[in-house]
Amino acid sequence: MTLPEKPLPGINADTKFFWEGCKSQTLTFQKCEQCGYVRWPPSFICPECHSKRTELIKSSGKGKVYSFIVYHRAFHPAFERELPYVVAIVELAEGPHLLTNIIECRPSDIKCDMPVEVVFEKRSEEVNLPLFRPSFPK
Amino acid sequence: MPGSIKDRVAIVGMGCTRFGERWDVSAADMIVEAVYQAYEDAGIETKDIQAAWLGTATGMTGMVLSEPLRLQYIPVTRVENACATASDAFRNACYAVAAGIYDMVLAVGVDKFKDSGISGLGDGGAPGPSHAMEAESTPPRQFAMLATTYFSKYGLSFEEGKHMIGRVSWKSHQNGMRNKNAHFQKDVSMDTILNAPMVAWPLGLFDCCGVSDGAAAAIITTPEIAQSMRKDPVYVKALQISMAPRDGNFNTNYDFLHVEATVRAAEAAYKEAGIKNPREEISMAEVHDCFSITEAVTMEDLRFSPRGKVRDDIENGFFDLDGGLPVQLDGGLKCFGHPIGASGLRMLYEMYLQLQGRADELLNPGFPSRQLANPKLGLTHNLGGSPDGCAIFVGIVGLPGV
Repeated sequence: MTLPEKPLPGINADTKFFWEGCKSQTLTFQKCEQCGYVRWPPSFICPECHSKRTELIKSSGKGKVYSFIVYHRAFHPAFERELPYVVAIVELAEGPHLLTNIIECRPSDIKCDMPVEVVFEKRSEEVNLPLFRPSFPK
Repeated sequence: MPGSIKDRVAIVGMGCTRFGERWDVSAADMIVEAVYQAYEDAGIETKDIQAAWLGTATGMTGMVLSEPLRLQYIPVTRVENACATASDAFRNACYAVAAGIYDMVLAVGVDKFKDSGISGLGDGGAPGPSHAMEAESTPPRQFAMLATTYFSKYGLSFEEGKHMIGRVSWKSHQNGMRNKNAHFQKDVSMDTILNAPMVAWPLGLFDCCGVSDGAAAAIITTPEIAQSMRKDPVYVKALQISMAPRDGNFNTNYDFLHVEATVRAAEAAYKEAGIKNPREEISMAEVHDCFSITEAVTMEDLRFSPRGKVRDDIENGFFDLDGGLPVQLDGGLKCFGHPIGASGLRMLYEMYLQLQGRADELLNPGFPSRQLANPKLGLTHNLGGSPDGCAIFVGIVGLPGV
């Protein structure tokens, strides 16, 4: 039996820069030139001050676990083979909160505020998915 | 200066079906059952209804209501506002009476999910921007993150936190087993709750509410007409909706410790009803316990418990039927399940019966009473969406002169 494919993120005009960055192993975020707010998800105007003046910044890829949970029931059948797996919100050093997975770590070892770093998983020619792993050796 | 709804409209009749796996009936059957109960309770007939509001997450147009009731060309508005759907149908019906346009209207909520072909509510398919990694975003995930963060920020061990949320579900089952209308009527022990399979850690099976079928209805009129119809009408004190901008999931300002829209709606409702200290003044509440942690956090958002301290109140039984502020007196979503379009009016039905001293009309034979001694004000709360972005309703009903 063929296992179902994992779903891929939809790439559109707003998110293209982010996925282009991921292809070269870099997390890229929009920073408002007026108020300095670094935002995620991508948007045309700043959600804080509504300015359209935007620059792109490269993230260090470092952050910490803000919150996390452990899936014991897969939402999509393609993820069943990975149960139990961790879905987390990672707070990047630059500010944005990213919904992602924590890998290379037992779920029971994960704590809020623990330092993590980005690691990219190639899912297709277009998509390098940013996941996170503990940023210190065990 | 905006007006207040306080004491400008009254409820003269209500009805509610049994909630559960209603394979034997259709949504139309449940509408008829709930509405004819309400007619009988109010002592009116279909021809007395001047306008109606129908809450449903699934049916389209007001004809979902006009067809089974054979309403003869009167206005019917279909309302959808996620889990606040029924409450918002009720809110709009109340406003039409307060505005003086009608003086006898009907609000109905209905949904039927058990034969919809899906288990649970899916991912919601919420409108708005398409985010990057939505495939893994299910309701248990969204609410479980509240629990992880709450435990971490307030220094609870996993065992302490898990026991706290388990106690929330245990209390609701203690109430629900006394209720003939509840979907789940079993006495569920703390051991069963704490040792149930995990769904989205730290939430296990008994931290999650069920999915069910049900309908509920209310008849609203002016206070003057209500007093001529019955000795114990229930008065509306506050009706508030707050809509979040749905950015919290990614917003660094969002703490996953509270639901901002609940805070906003509650404060607006307290102001509208003239309530200063809800912990002391509110007699009882039915809140949105889609998950046990949701109810725990809601107790703080409603100012029933001090911020970060709800564990003490939960473990001390403050929200039990014999506690200082009973919550989920009918069993809550935990025991009733959640037919989205009906839940808000199901909650209101319990407040209505309690205020009239009639809660034991639904008592399971052989069980101790569910009726409170002298309730004066009841609060209902719905949370539609996820903690970081949701449609919130907070309403307050009560006796005259309170």
